Amino acid sequence: MVALGRLLPGRRGRLAPTEARHGSRLTPYLFLAPALILVAIFVFYPIASVIYYSFTDYDIITPAEWTGLDNYARLLGDPTFWKALTNSIIYLIATPILIVLSITLAIVVNRQLRGIHIFRALYYVPAVSGSIAIGISWRWLFDRNGFINSLLVSIGILKEPVAWLAEPDFILPIAIMLTVWAGIGYYAVIFLAGLQNVPEELYDAAEIDGANSFQKHWHVSLPALRPQIVFVAVISSLAALKVFDEIYVLTNRTGGILDAGVTVVFYLWRQAFVLSNAGYASAIAIALLVVTLAFSIVYVRTLERRLETD
Amino acid sequence: MHVRPILSILVLLALVVTACGNQGSSSAPSTAASVAESAAPSASAAESMNPEAVIHDVEEGAELTFWTFYLSPTFDDYIKGTIDRFEATYPGVTVKWEDHQATFLDDYRNAINAGTQPDVANLSNNEGWVREFAEAGRLLNLSENLPQEVQDQYFPNLFMDSVVDGASYQVPWYQAIPVEIVNTAIFDDAGVSVDDFPTSFDGIPDLCQTIKDATGKLCDVRLTVNDYLAQMTYEGGVDVMNADGTAFTFDSQDAVDWLQTYVDMVAAGTVDRSALTTADDRVALELFTSGQAPFYQTGPQLIREVKDSNPDLYQQLAIAPFPVGRSGVIQPTSQGIAVKADTQYPNAAMALAAFFTNPISQLEFAQQVAIYPSTPAAYDDPFFSETPELVEDSARPLAHDLIEQEQNILPSIPNKADVNDIVRQAVEQAIFNGADPQQVLSDAVAQANALL
Repeated sequence: MVALGRLLPGRRGRLAPTEARHGSRLTPYLFLAPALILVAIFVFYPIASVIYYSFTDYDIITPAEWTGLDNYARLLGDPTFWKALTNSIIYLIATPILIVLSITLAIVVNRQLRGIHIFRALYYVPAVSGSIAIGISWRWLFDRNGFINSLLVSIGILKEPVAWLAEPDFILPIAIMLTVWAGIGYYAVIFLAGLQNVPEELYDAAEIDGANSFQKHWHVSLPALRPQIVFVAVISSLAALKVFDEIYVLTNRTGGILDAGVTVVFYLWRQAFVLSNAGYASAIAIALLVVTLAFSIVYVRTLERRLETD
Repeated sequence: MHVRPILSILVLLALVVTACGNQGSSSAPSTAASVAESAAPSASAAESMNPEAVIHDVEEGAELTFWTFYLSPTFDDYIKGTIDRFEATYPGVTVKWEDHQATFLDDYRNAINAGTQPDVANLSNNEGWVREFAEAGRLLNLSENLPQEVQDQYFPNLFMDSVVDGASYQVPWYQAIPVEIVNTAIFDDAGVSVDDFPTSFDGIPDLCQTIKDATGKLCDVRLTVNDYLAQMTYEGGVDVMNADGTAFTFDSQDAVDWLQTYVDMVAAGTVDRSALTTADDRVALELFTSGQAPFYQTGPQLIREVKDSNPDLYQQLAIAPFPVGRSGVIQPTSQGIAVKADTQYPNAAMALAAFFTNPISQLEFAQQVAIYPSTPAAYDDPFFSETPELVEDSARPLAHDLIEQEQNILPSIPNKADVNDIVRQAVEQAIFNGADPQQVLSDAVAQANALL
């Protein structure tokens, strides 16, 4: 790359060594600057603001008042927060289900069958559909007068319709099912890309060794997909810990009867925008950040270590 | 140096924070559905004797921002036409109108935070919005600033609907009259006559039981999840605070009896649980519109939605009077128009608020949809004395008298949202988790009093 200084008029010959070093040191930062400024404004400034507000009593419409650690003390004794955290952790069960089903789907659509492209596109449809639209469809499905009840009543499994989304025990499982259903297509594409990079010779060798179809995938496909599995595990776990849309739509903004579907991000939203406790909501956000970060570090390190060992 | 783990952590941090930030990044006014900017009117349009020009010394060249709630696109022509008339009445004043919908409250709070609070805004009285922003010092005291003759044009109970420290911070606009819309097909199947619809809340549980036994249909009744204290007050006749406002008292026998009514209805399985606890009245309305519910309490203006969505059901609709609660009074449901406390153009802003709520503007609005004006003079028009032909208009001849009797008996509640959330948890514990109503309400009172 030609140094900018060399193109300037009045310059003759090479730049002085210090000047050149100075210029070359600055160049990468200049290239980084636009992105860095945006990240600073839209990521680091909000983080700093949230940290500040977490130490205040703030209702959005009146100036924040410094309250020290009050919000954090309240957090420790708030049973709804702990319930929300527990629900968010339970939601992590979506991750292994997603991985297993996405890999299975990727293997199924990785065949050269007639019309397979149409199937691949169809499975991806939920990934490009709006989460609110999907949530509303699922709400209709599980409505007391919805399809699920009609089906179960008509085949005699239920005597009378059940208000599934008004039953505390069903809200979280239905939301998890929705997340899995909506995510399979997206993650399957990632696994499909991984599968298409597996050399065909490995499958041939496995076949020569007498492996059946299941064994070929168990011993060849899965080890080859480990980088993708790590990636999917991390991003789907983070998504599960931060779940909001599904709960918001399925419970009509209530979090469900007895707060059965309240997750940490939903609780954060409720505190900030329903109860106008933005200071307390900021403390919840910081707690979530700490939990998610700790979880992610442990998760990534464990998975990386296992990969290196393998 | 362990660059890779550090990079991983930074990427994760960005992912987490960006996603967290997404939840609350709805900066105002993101959901503005429509904006109408009007050109400055010609000076010749000025009519110093115009009966609608009730505010004097309106600031020359004032540029007002005006927010409405859920009125666009259905009423675009009406709103724009009224703004045009206003601008002709007050030459040199221009209005920039925006309609905000589901995120109105978030948008309004964010606008205050960002210093872009609209000069004039349509705030709901019974959702508690007027009181919230008046108590925060964000609204102009209209009892002090609005000329007395303008204040006198409204029903007094509506002008004083959301009083804070004895003063009004809104002028009342349109409102609904609560009625029960009845699916006569289900009533016929249940052998119940619309004429026998209970006149008081106490008759509802027996009616629901009768309908369920005969038809299997469940009642579409709602708990007011965003304002339990109002529901207790009007429906249960509960005094939610003591007389001097220093302690909550919603664990009285009246309150326990009110809660027990719902506990019993849910235990008997006579109410639709999804509708009962929804925060969205559309859910309950959809249940009725689908033909699955025997009756639903709403305003006549929403009957048009039944008409549009289910014309067959519309043919079978009947209207029953709203059953009065144990308090004996009906809660006003008016929308208000409020003015920003520190608006640059207070006279122009008050002029706009008064203009939209004057009898002429409200009569025109009422002729387009089944809403009811907040000004007695509007009812002098023959439109309100004609015998209505459509079911949605059947409350029209009674509207003036009904509105006159409405009363806001709910005291100003400190930390209202937090207290409501405490009550919500108590109510749900009693109804859905078998907790003792007296115990949960007493615990809730203790928690609420700790916030005072």
